[in-house]
Amino acid sequence: MQLCSSAWTQVLEGPGRSWIRSAGSSLMDESALERYFDDSIANDSSFMLGEELGLQSPTSSLQDSSYLSMKAGPSGDLGAELDLSFLPDDLSTQDDTAEAAQTQASVLDESQDSGVCLDYNSQDSTAADPQQGMSSLGPGTGTSPFCPMTPMTPMTPMTPVTERNIVSTVNLGCPLDLKFIALQARNAEYNPKRFAAVIMRIREPRTTALIFSSGKMVCTGAKSEEQSRLAARKYARVVQKLGFPARFLDFKIQNMVASCDVCFPIRLEGLVLTHQQFSSYEPELFPGLIYRMVKPRIVLLIFVSGKVVLTGAKERAEIYEAFENIYPILRGFRKQ
Amino acid sequence: MNLIKGLQRVKALCRTLRVNREIEDLSETYYNQAYQHKSFIKVSLNKKEVLAGCCVLVSCRLLNWPITMGTISCLLDADSMVVGAVYEEMVKILNIKAPIINVTDVMEAHSQEYKISSVYVPEELAENSKDLTKRAVALVELAADSWIVTGRKPIPIMMAAIYLAWQSLKPTKQRLKYSLDKFCQIAKVNKHKPALKRITEMKEVLCKLGKEIPWVKEPVTPDNVVRLMEDILQHRDALLRRALRTHEDALLADCQASCEDSLIEETAPSQISEVVEQTPDLSSVELCESNAERAKQPGDGDDNQCAASEQHSYTQGSQDSSQNWGKRVLFAPPCVIHAKKRRVEQPEPKDVTGDEEISDSEIDSYIRTPREARDFALAQKMFSMSESEKS
Repeated sequence: MQLCSSAWTQVLEGPGRSWIRSAGSSLMDESALERYFDDSIANDSSFMLGEELGLQSPTSSLQDSSYLSMKAGPSGDLGAELDLSFLPDDLSTQDDTAEAAQTQASVLDESQDSGVCLDYNSQDSTAADPQQGMSSLGPGTGTSPFCPMTPMTPMTPMTPVTERNIVSTVNLGCPLDLKFIALQARNAEYNPKRFAAVIMRIREPRTTALIFSSGKMVCTGAKSEEQSRLAARKYARVVQKLGFPARFLDFKIQNMVASCDVCFPIRLEGLVLTHQQFSSYEPELFPGLIYRMVKPRIVLLIFVSGKVVLTGAKERAEIYEAFENIYPILRGFRKQ
Repeated sequence: MNLIKGLQRVKALCRTLRVNREIEDLSETYYNQAYQHKSFIKVSLNKKEVLAGCCVLVSCRLLNWPITMGTISCLLDADSMVVGAVYEEMVKILNIKAPIINVTDVMEAHSQEYKISSVYVPEELAENSKDLTKRAVALVELAADSWIVTGRKPIPIMMAAIYLAWQSLKPTKQRLKYSLDKFCQIAKVNKHKPALKRITEMKEVLCKLGKEIPWVKEPVTPDNVVRLMEDILQHRDALLRRALRTHEDALLADCQASCEDSLIEETAPSQISEVVEQTPDLSSVELCESNAERAKQPGDGDDNQCAASEQHSYTQGSQDSSQNWGKRVLFAPPCVIHAKKRRVEQPEPKDVTGDEEISDSEIDSYIRTPREARDFALAQKMFSMSESEKS
């Protein structure tokens, strides 16, 4: 499939914050996009889901439990979460900000959002599980899987890894008349000269979809796998309502982007020296260090501020595993 | 054949840069390899020229001849992003691991570009390149230690360093009055806008160190710090240590003061957590806590409350600290100190399963009424008609 890179990046300006756009570097756009498209849409054969969900090891259960506490309080297996709350039928108006001028810093600054991680902190501070070292609590309790330390030395608190963007694909299973869709749908955009797909957006979950005439669809911008699925179903319903026999086949999460902040500065020049096989740091081109982890196969963007973007995951566990791998390495570069 | 032309271009670039024979040979080897590769065999002549430049660049890096990508882009008269893309592709294909350039290494070559010796400018403004480079390198090393260099483009940093070095080598009123603009004009170089910000950042760091000079009585500000630069750079290690110690002591003092406060007001959140950050010497933290411990002794009843308030205050503090730990350390990357304000993220429902019911009314809200659709189609037609009339 021929893609115009600039059209694509414009398409991704929307509620969905794509790290690709916000990375700001065109050289990353092109290859990342093409790889993604080649792998997912052109060939139907799905990727090998290499890693098993690492729920056994204590460290990853740490991540899971902290994630779950963020979600709904009771901890438990990731898959067994049974909280069925219906979405309110609340159609608040969308915040139509142009994500055009987004820089990488702004994507990463999101990890400073007080809403998510800090509520979690204060809720759990009294029920402090000493294992939850990710956002450690109080002098004297500070233990983390990464830095066992004397009780007197508190740990640098750090934001938990939060999901920023999920990209998924689904096959609606029938050819679509894009012109017709663009005419009949309020939330659709279609410029065939620029890009061969309809760009559709919904308010809740705030996402953007690319709908192709083949019936294949890409959904971006969701903050969790479940939200991505819900959003994709809504788009499918819209297409159905417009009269097409749309189905919901082969829904698959293609990419997950997460970010976090380790809260200390990082000597990128040092990191690229010691981890040369995995790192690429060209300050003339991009301020962050690009770390291509082999196992799991995740790409991390590491910045001097200590903020880290993780992408390329097909499953949440991969993100957490990647973070667990990189954190001790980063700690090594904490002070000179 | 284009390959031959490309190799000639490689040679020409090497001659211009006056690199040694080894680099020239290596560049040609790489060019041969890369050219034949499927990613490059069919690209435009323009790109092939850029490829030539990239081969020279990577060879220089591998053989310890520091040049920046900016220099190559200039020579090729190409956009540095394009050069960057080709470079990344090429190293991937040829599987090369080239070391990154060290800004201080490139400084000497870079400072040659500035026409600021007595041959070009009047005596009061002239500096020889050797002195200039030496001073600028010291400044860049200081900047690197204080987190100004990592992640930034090297050329504006070098420009800022050279400008400040030039001013400080002879800090006359005349020189100090020269803005970066004017300096670039007389030195006949193109100004880089980010250099202005680097200058400000460097001056801030210099001020932090300047304060620690024992024989300086007046307050050190960005306006008068240039005169002190020579001393600061000469004694920068000692001054750095002093500045860090002063900072640490200040934090400790804050912490102790607030420890006492928190015990007086049992429920007030204390600032103990403030100390829990990047102190270069953890002993200060331990000291603070042992103070807190000791202070807590009288009465067990206090302990629980204190512990609770400490934990609460810690989490409060951790809010602040995770929001901006940069504000509490002496040196931090500027992007942390001046963190951008985040727009408040809309609270999304957390407990989504993906299987929720989807209401008809919601879906209908996304679909045009027949009337709307007709109007829209009409408007589109009219619009496209008027467009074609114009052209």
